[in-house]
Amino acid sequence: MPKTLFEKIWDLHVVVEQKNGPTLLYVDRHLVHEVTSPQAFDGLRMNKRNVRRPDLTFATMDHNVPTSDRSLPIIDQISAKQIKVLEKNCKDFDIELFDINSPNQGIVHVIGPELGITLPGTTIVCGDSHTSTHGAFGALAFGIGTSDVEHVLATQCIWMEKPKTFEIKIEGKRKNEHAVTAKDIILSIIRHIGTAGGAGTVIEYTGETISDLTMEQRMTICNMSIEGGARAGLVAPDEKTFAYLKGRKYIPKNYDELVDHWSENLKSDPGAHFDKIFTLHVDTISPQVSWGTNPAMTTDVTSIVPFPEEYAKGNQDEEKAAIRALQYMNLKPGTPITDISIDRVFIGSCTNSRLDDLIEASKIVKGKKVSSKVRAMIVPGSQLVKKQAEELGLDKIFKEANFEWRESGCSMCLGMNPDILVAGERCASTSNRNFEGRQGAGGRTHLVSPVMAAAAALAGHFMDVRELDLN
Amino acid sequence: MKGDVIKYQRDNIDTDVIIPGPYLKIHDYNELAKHAMEGLDKDFHSKVKEGDFIVAGRNFGCGSSREHAPIALAYSGIKAVLALSFARIFYRNAVDGAFLLPIEIDESTYNSISNEDSVEIDTEKNEIKNLTKNQTYAMKPFSELIGKIIAAGGLFNYKP
Repeated sequence: MPKTLFEKIWDLHVVVEQKNGPTLLYVDRHLVHEVTSPQAFDGLRMNKRNVRRPDLTFATMDHNVPTSDRSLPIIDQISAKQIKVLEKNCKDFDIELFDINSPNQGIVHVIGPELGITLPGTTIVCGDSHTSTHGAFGALAFGIGTSDVEHVLATQCIWMEKPKTFEIKIEGKRKNEHAVTAKDIILSIIRHIGTAGGAGTVIEYTGETISDLTMEQRMTICNMSIEGGARAGLVAPDEKTFAYLKGRKYIPKNYDELVDHWSENLKSDPGAHFDKIFTLHVDTISPQVSWGTNPAMTTDVTSIVPFPEEYAKGNQDEEKAAIRALQYMNLKPGTPITDISIDRVFIGSCTNSRLDDLIEASKIVKGKKVSSKVRAMIVPGSQLVKKQAEELGLDKIFKEANFEWRESGCSMCLGMNPDILVAGERCASTSNRNFEGRQGAGGRTHLVSPVMAAAAALAGHFMDVRELDLN
Repeated sequence: MKGDVIKYQRDNIDTDVIIPGPYLKIHDYNELAKHAMEGLDKDFHSKVKEGDFIVAGRNFGCGSSREHAPIALAYSGIKAVLALSFARIFYRNAVDGAFLLPIEIDESTYNSISNEDSVEIDTEKNEIKNLTKNQTYAMKPFSELIGKIIAAGGLFNYKP
């Protein structure tokens, strides 16, 4: 019977499978960070258990590290303690740690791929919902909670029920691929399928547009699979995948042999059955801007803030949610999106903080200045991204335009380090969640692409980036 | 299991409102509980009682993988969340650590249960009794894996 890519990877990792029951699945790579791991290590100690495969476990600190000068002590004592605890846990259990001073430190979903820890056909887990990012390499990658983190540390396995399959075909050619980005594609998808559209499924993204995208763009798409409710997102690996990983620090010695094997096997068979299918045609999509308090509350930059009644199409709960969202966002229905003024700009997060993202943003920033009303920051996803960007002189372009150029970390994506919005502040953000209070209590988030965020920083409001010269 | 209902007629109650990011650094679960639901309902902490249930709409617990979300609710006294559907990671976190029961209900049950109703949950019969309204509803049975993890008292006691 023809199999999907997901089914092939799943089948290769089954340790125990019960008919119509749970499966014990083997985990190839376990990524660990400071926020969701402390209780898991405590649990190991309490029960006198060891880490089963420290060699397959990698740790970094990203969620609560400050993104300011690394030579200064961390002021927030609770963050400092959480960071110290991870250092001790990694030392005690012999786990490789990319600490705050490591040249390989960064957001866990940025460093996994760039160090070659993420490999096609592997299973990857991490105590972070955006683990779906690694699916861009044809890895089956799940976010898990702390109890499961402890379970994987102790056993290198995870109990799961087999997800269903969901094919999202992304077809067509974008008219302006610098202005209509991978971020606009995934926001369009979530807008259509809804925040729970992918519930219970693993998505495989297919179609000619996916083949056209770079690895970094594919990561942006897989990253936000969770925002559509999916368990994971996948792209079949191809020449771009293999070229991206070649020469990276942690790839296996027999890499070339593996590439032959992967290119032969890691794809869905013709005629393989998907439980659900959705097709997005990108020819006509516009740059996207979220207006509400979940990622599906998104519209075209050329459109208006919606009227709740029209948006809800007769669903009363949806209408109430939209009214509440507009209240929280302090937006009036009918306002053109391009009339929305912003106070802050954040270019960063595991969704959009890679070199590609920074290069694209820098093109429109070069020689210009951030609006005097806006505070804008660029937070590279990793120390390696930062270094590469600096080698290209991007830091100078951004700094001359009055952007803050910061150290790597999750930063203003999630409001648990010093980078937060003040109540009432409105932010154009390249991150993944516009939930109430996500970037700081009372802060208002608009999800956009790096190019849109950069354009908004200069103009002080959103604009149709297709009107800019981006080539 | 008997308790009173705190109802939020709302879909997509995300983990950032259940326990906002700044509190994820707190290790003391009782301290964490003081901030449960703070992003959505500032009065939650003062009104919640030991043994209460939350009733909510679709996709409860969407967003981050933070196990702090079911922990904060559980240490506030919440024994079960009854929702139209759950986000996967929240659902698993709730049962893995035996923090609370995530119970899926249908639309008519959701509409029938009001805030402050007294409700009794029977997971053996897969039944929910509304003691205030004298009505009985069906709950969606747990899958084999989830049912066994719950029966074992958490992931680490589970034996297939």
